[in-house]
Amino acid sequence: METIIEVKGLTKVFKTRRTELIAVDHISFEIYKGEIFGMIGPNGAGKSTTFAMMTTLVKPTGGSIMVSGLDVEKEDEKIRQKIGVVPQQHSLYPDLTARENLELMGNLYDVPKKLMDERIDYYLKLVNLKTHSDRFTGGFSGGMKQRLSVICAIIHDPEIIFWDEPTTGLDPQTRQAIWKLAMKFNEEGKTLIFTTHYMEEADKLCNRVAIMNAGKLVALDTPENLKKTSNSTSLEEVFIHLTGEEIRD
Amino acid sequence: MIKEFKQLFRKKVLVVPLFVFPIVMIVFFGYGMGGSVNNVNLLIVNNDMGVSSNALVQELGTFIPKNSDNKMFEITYTKDMSQSEAEDKINSAEYKAVLIIPVDYSDRLAKNEKPEVTLLTDQSDTTSTGIIVETMNKILAKSQPGTILLTVPDLYGSLKYIDFLTPAVIALTVFFGTVMSTGYAVAGEREDGTIVRILMTPVSRGAVIFGKTIHQLILQLARAVILILAAILIFGVTMNGSWLLVALILVIFTFGAVGMGIAISAKSEDMTSFQQISMLFTLPSMFATGVFFPLDSIPDWMRWIAYLIPLTYANDAMRIVMIKGQGINAIAGDLIILLIYSIIIFSVAIRIFRREV
Repeated sequence: METIIEVKGLTKVFKTRRTELIAVDHISFEIYKGEIFGMIGPNGAGKSTTFAMMTTLVKPTGGSIMVSGLDVEKEDEKIRQKIGVVPQQHSLYPDLTARENLELMGNLYDVPKKLMDERIDYYLKLVNLKTHSDRFTGGFSGGMKQRLSVICAIIHDPEIIFWDEPTTGLDPQTRQAIWKLAMKFNEEGKTLIFTTHYMEEADKLCNRVAIMNAGKLVALDTPENLKKTSNSTSLEEVFIHLTGEEIRD
Repeated sequence: MIKEFKQLFRKKVLVVPLFVFPIVMIVFFGYGMGGSVNNVNLLIVNNDMGVSSNALVQELGTFIPKNSDNKMFEITYTKDMSQSEAEDKINSAEYKAVLIIPVDYSDRLAKNEKPEVTLLTDQSDTTSTGIIVETMNKILAKSQPGTILLTVPDLYGSLKYIDFLTPAVIALTVFFGTVMSTGYAVAGEREDGTIVRILMTPVSRGAVIFGKTIHQLILQLARAVILILAAILIFGVTMNGSWLLVALILVIFTFGAVGMGIAISAKSEDMTSFQQISMLFTLPSMFATGVFFPLDSIPDWMRWIAYLIPLTYANDAMRIVMIKGQGINAIAGDLIILLIYSIIIFSVAIRIFRREV
């Protein structure tokens, strides 16, 4: 299988005057082209920091990340053209309409006007927002915002989609719709990487799952293999087995 | 109620504007609006060789206003200077006032005739001018009761307090508006996560700052034009100078204010923190920089505080251009200081933005 993201010895240390926090501690893994890759871990495990480093938002303290053959340290602007990021917060401008939010993103990614208009119409229809395209997003429900947020991230047709907790706080219907959307993008050949706290989601959607704990990568395999290795019936059991029952702050 | 007090005193940044600023404001306004000025730079052009003018000069040199420990005038002496040369000294802000004593001053007094002395003042500062003229009349009346005529030519037309106020209020408005709206844009976008989305596109952080800066420059210049036109139409405010120079001052000043807005907001975790921290910087500018009163009317230690605040130089440059109608040479000093301030604060802002956002 072709590797699309290669993480080697990745480390992130956050330093303040008095403290030093090792958020990510020498982790290495590969993500293959066209797979759905899940990252799970308790609070403070380092998955969000790893996610932020892979998406070029945070600079690593050590190690390296190659995204689609490009180095995050040196070629971050080129990488950003190839990836789409759906942030955990909906991150939409409330005083712009749905269409204007999409146009803004299209312009920032330099999508040609005609192509951008075609994509906006197509995606708005795909996520059932066509009739709301000229409404300010400030009045949208959580589900509508999440659907719009997703298409804002893919308006430039990225080959890799990073998705931070895609279904947190959504109703079952919207969650189903988001899963279908993820599957559709994956069928189109896009690689999907997402973080989640829902084990069921990781089990159902992901080809492979990385489990992180205290900044380290403690397991990486298919959901089936993870369950088999731990003699567990669910991914949640595997998760608790590997990361412990202690509640994290 | 106890909960409210606990929350209030745990936000120390909020306590400062709540309790400290009103006290500082009372002190500054108390001195600033106190009706006296001191250490006024006065040039005496004494063309008279007689003894009577020496008595007048001595009287002026030792005059101490009521409720003050300082002399009112810092006097420099010269002779053989024309009125237009003296006006240039006022225009360039070298002196706040010039008193021209005519060559026949002592002679006319000796002959029981009325000599005429001319007082030129920096009338862009209407408050100080009023106090200086009133004091001069008193001193002349005391020196030779009912005999000396005081002429005060209008250098920049007939001016009112609103003429003094308007240029500085425009600079203040631009400063407040820029810091607050840039800050809200950055802190707000940070809070709702939109800035993260933008920073994940191929657009660089530098381009994000550039876009926000250009937006503010256009917005603030438009506001300034509207404010000046409104002041002219409603109050008949004087606009003796070049609109382009006003634009130049405001562009340089706005540039720094954008930097301040970005720096404060990038350091703030949310909108509330931004509001509280920004007040620490914006409020002192309002009452300590001579927007509402001349800096000559406050004690030296307060004036030094004013000299540390960029708005002081923007106010000065705006008044020199709008009221005195002077060119770029007259505001070069102010512009250089504003430019240095803007470059420093903007560079710091970019560093903070890159590190924190």
